[in-house]
Amino acid sequence: MRTLVSPPWRIGVTAAAASLVLGLAACGGGSSTAGTSASSGGGKARTFTVWDPYPQFDAASDWWKLVEKCGSDAGVTVKHTAFDTTDLTNKALLAAQQGNSPDLLIVDNPVVSTLADAGALTTTDDIKADVSAFSPNLLAAGQSGGKTFGVPIGANTLALYYNKKVLAAAGVDAASVKDWASLNAALVKVKAAGKKGITFSAIGTEEGSFQFLPWFWGSGANLKKLDSPEAVSALTLWTDWVKQGLAPNSVLNNTQTTSWQEFASGDYAFGENGTWQIANAKKSGLDWGVVPIPAAKGGNAPAPTGGEFVTVPVQKDSATYPTAAKVLSCLTSGDNALTTDTTLSYIGGSAAIQAKQAANPDLAVWVEAVKAAKGRTSDDLGTKYPKISEPMWGAFQAALSGSTAPQAALARAQTTAASAVR
Amino acid sequence: MTRTATTRTAGDRAGTSAREVPARPAAPVYRARSSQWAAWGFAAPVTVYLVAFYAYPLLRNLDLSVRNYTVRSFVQGGAQFSGLDNLRAVVTSPTFGPALTNTVVFTVTSLVFQFTIGLALALFFQHHFPLSGTLRALFLVPWLLPLIVSSSTWAWMLNSDSGVVNYALGLLGVDPVHWLTSPQWSLPSVIIANIWIGIPFNLVVLYSGLQAIPAELHEAAAIDGANARQRFWRVTFPLLRPVSAITLLLGLVYTLKVFDIIWVMTKGGPGDSSTTLTTWSYRKSFGSLLPQFGPGAAISNLLIVMALVAGLLYVRSAGREAGA
Amino acid sequence: MTATRAERGRRARTGVGVVLTAVMLFPVYWMVNVSLTPTADMRHDPPFVVPVHATLDGYRTVLDQQLPYLGTSLLVGLGTVLLTLAVAAPAGYSLAKLRPRGGPVLAFALLLAQMIPGIIMGIGLYAVYLSLGYLNTLPGLVVADSTIAVPFGVLLFTSFMRGIPDELLQAAKVDGAGHLRTFASVVLPVSRNAIVTVSLFSFLWAWSDFIFATTLDAGGDHQPITLGIYHYIGNNNQEWNAIMATAVVASVPAAVLLVVAQRFVAAGVTGGAVKE
Repeated sequence: MRTLVSPPWRIGVTAAAASLVLGLAACGGGSSTAGTSASSGGGKARTFTVWDPYPQFDAASDWWKLVEKCGSDAGVTVKHTAFDTTDLTNKALLAAQQGNSPDLLIVDNPVVSTLADAGALTTTDDIKADVSAFSPNLLAAGQSGGKTFGVPIGANTLALYYNKKVLAAAGVDAASVKDWASLNAALVKVKAAGKKGITFSAIGTEEGSFQFLPWFWGSGANLKKLDSPEAVSALTLWTDWVKQGLAPNSVLNNTQTTSWQEFASGDYAFGENGTWQIANAKKSGLDWGVVPIPAAKGGNAPAPTGGEFVTVPVQKDSATYPTAAKVLSCLTSGDNALTTDTTLSYIGGSAAIQAKQAANPDLAVWVEAVKAAKGRTSDDLGTKYPKISEPMWGAFQAALSGSTAPQAALARAQTTAASAVR
Repeated sequence: MTRTATTRTAGDRAGTSAREVPARPAAPVYRARSSQWAAWGFAAPVTVYLVAFYAYPLLRNLDLSVRNYTVRSFVQGGAQFSGLDNLRAVVTSPTFGPALTNTVVFTVTSLVFQFTIGLALALFFQHHFPLSGTLRALFLVPWLLPLIVSSSTWAWMLNSDSGVVNYALGLLGVDPVHWLTSPQWSLPSVIIANIWIGIPFNLVVLYSGLQAIPAELHEAAAIDGANARQRFWRVTFPLLRPVSAITLLLGLVYTLKVFDIIWVMTKGGPGDSSTTLTTWSYRKSFGSLLPQFGPGAAISNLLIVMALVAGLLYVRSAGREAGA
Repeated sequence: MTATRAERGRRARTGVGVVLTAVMLFPVYWMVNVSLTPTADMRHDPPFVVPVHATLDGYRTVLDQQLPYLGTSLLVGLGTVLLTLAVAAPAGYSLAKLRPRGGPVLAFALLLAQMIPGIIMGIGLYAVYLSLGYLNTLPGLVVADSTIAVPFGVLLFTSFMRGIPDELLQAAKVDGAGHLRTFASVVLPVSRNAIVTVSLFSFLWAWSDFIFATTLDAGGDHQPITLGIYHYIGNNNQEWNAIMATAVVASVPAAVLLVVAQRFVAAGVTGGAVKE
């Protein structure tokens, strides 16, 4: 008799559950806006989809409010989605394949050539946007084949943060760090004083390559030849630091964030990190300063440009392009650009903004660094860059972990890269 | 209902209690032709479900692996058919050997330890003692954590400089080990984390399997003079075989798919020292600025084939045993 | 004499059990430790085994921002459970008792279904959902999450229901019940343990799913907690104490569920219908 427990009740519950799910489906299906473009002409504000790689901002932030304002100025309602930056390339490609691209896409600058190559982006000519105000060295990352595929929202780059207290205790003057020899001498002194030397990120992803490039370019090496003697000297610089205990073993796995956290613990003299850490530096309670990354024989090393580009993906209906151009220009020019760049801790993409920021003593070093910076996909490398970057990070990972000598690691990387870009 | 519960025949009793009941003439009624409609009626939802949701992704992946996809042709269409080119490129790549070896080592080691530790814990919890229920439930907590969190926690604990494991080793006078950053230790580190994450599943399934073995069988064996170890090997273990088999098979399938743990902890590095086929497939398709979908899909097809082979072996052995 | 010995033995077991659990849960303790650590101490060498400069910043952030995500995760989890049960239970019954011709093929197809890596499923479903208009919807996510649980659920139900004695089903048939009635009033009540187990597995898998959430619901108005964690993994900026705090807060309802349901799970995984 136990088996005949309330069957009608059970059926009733199952039926209720089924109808609940169906009901949700009905509601859900009806109200979902899958974000496709091209609404029918109706004169009212249509949804304008914006994708960006800043999940740290939410609806209450200045950034979102700015985007919404630019949208309403252009006569549209903005539907804003933030993604993790490493995910965004694939989401953009998948969306482009399915005809589901957003109206405005903000992506990391080295990705622009990949998306352009896929035919997923419009050129600035297509949407009739004016790019004359932007610094050529920054714009270059978004150019390929003589066409421009977007505009920089701002730029960031790398420099050496230093801990004034640690340097003072070791008797090192930050201003004396002008080339590799003086940097090495400083690190040795710091270690002798019982503190730690330098931290950076050498992780096996694009982030690691980003951090390696100032040293690579600073040695005089060129990405087209990864195993030149200059390149080997750059990699040897890194491996010697780890071998001699001047840099921690964790650099192999460090992201720029974890490297910053190591620097923020107060034990390190130097930390190679970017503009975006300025806000964190102020919160850290450390007595900090910034110097440009030195080149091997003196002068400032060219650092790679970070920072995103504002792009307009290709849509089936080109009627949306004028609106997109308006929103694009709203976000990247005038006072709006300054607000954006201040929120993101970036340096402006145009000379005008940079001049305003240079007046701020905190940012002056960075403005200079950005002026000397290079895009990773510049030198007309375009989509060749990823094919070179990946073997390059494989090389410094192998060398730093001690399994291969720097010369051999770079030689192998060059073979791989050369065959990949053929 | 008589049961001759000698240790010798325990092995024949693998699985279902329904087998104990002798067949009755009324049983064939359930196999009447009209009940085929009923049978498929009940199975219809899952069949439709399978076709609708699994067939398309599988076919899509197959398509990706036999065409030469560039980013452009991925978006615009029109990728050329390239047959087994992608597979050939994958198999001849220098990463293939290490990836395959690592996959085998990772999977076998994880399974052996997860199963053994899970079984040992399940046996331990068989006896009722104060707090046994709560403790057993607490053992399942690792299961609740999102993988990115558990992997990150392990990555933090195993950090060469600020990790608590090296700190503890330091207290014991051992030099710090470069868990995640040396080619020798990266694979063992991710295996350890994977074992930790897999123990709850094994514990739950094996514990239930043990619960399903009638206590009388153990008592009868004890009366016959078997000691604890003999009871385990002659009574418990054989009866547990079907449950063990399915646990190991599912464990294999799930372990082959493991990705988050390795990716978060070491990204498959340094070099290729902790790259498995799954992480390599991801790296090809999503891990660089320039996706290579074709080779990535080819590698994941290889994985599916490997799991398929294991599945076939399981079905063959399960079929032989249950006499179904 | 034997009573106290047995009692001592039991208490010894409890002691051993507590030690084993503590070892197993040490990483969880570390997670809580990190969630209370201020950013400046994150990479301190040597690490703080106890958070000496404990801060509630992470938790404050979580409680301010993450509760809607928790609610969504709960909804998605429950939806997944209902859908999984609705699809898997009848299928298990069919494979176990009704023996359709081609049943083994279906069982094998289900095994094969579990072997497909999640990311491939995600990308495939993206296209399907886009054309059906189910992208960025919660029901869509529920269906996707159920694909993780249904094959395993069918497996579990099949093996469990095989253990239901045929006499019970015979009795119902003799009483004049059709297949549906037999299923609803005989099979389901007796399979209570299996139902609870399958519900638990599918809830937990849906709760911690990330792949489907990020591929199919990234632009949705309602997002689950796994996406909520990604909120703190910004471009170049990661607030680890907030991430760990989110994980701790997200684990609490699931942990409660586990403790409550573990009693059923024990008996639910294998045949045990008669051994109530």
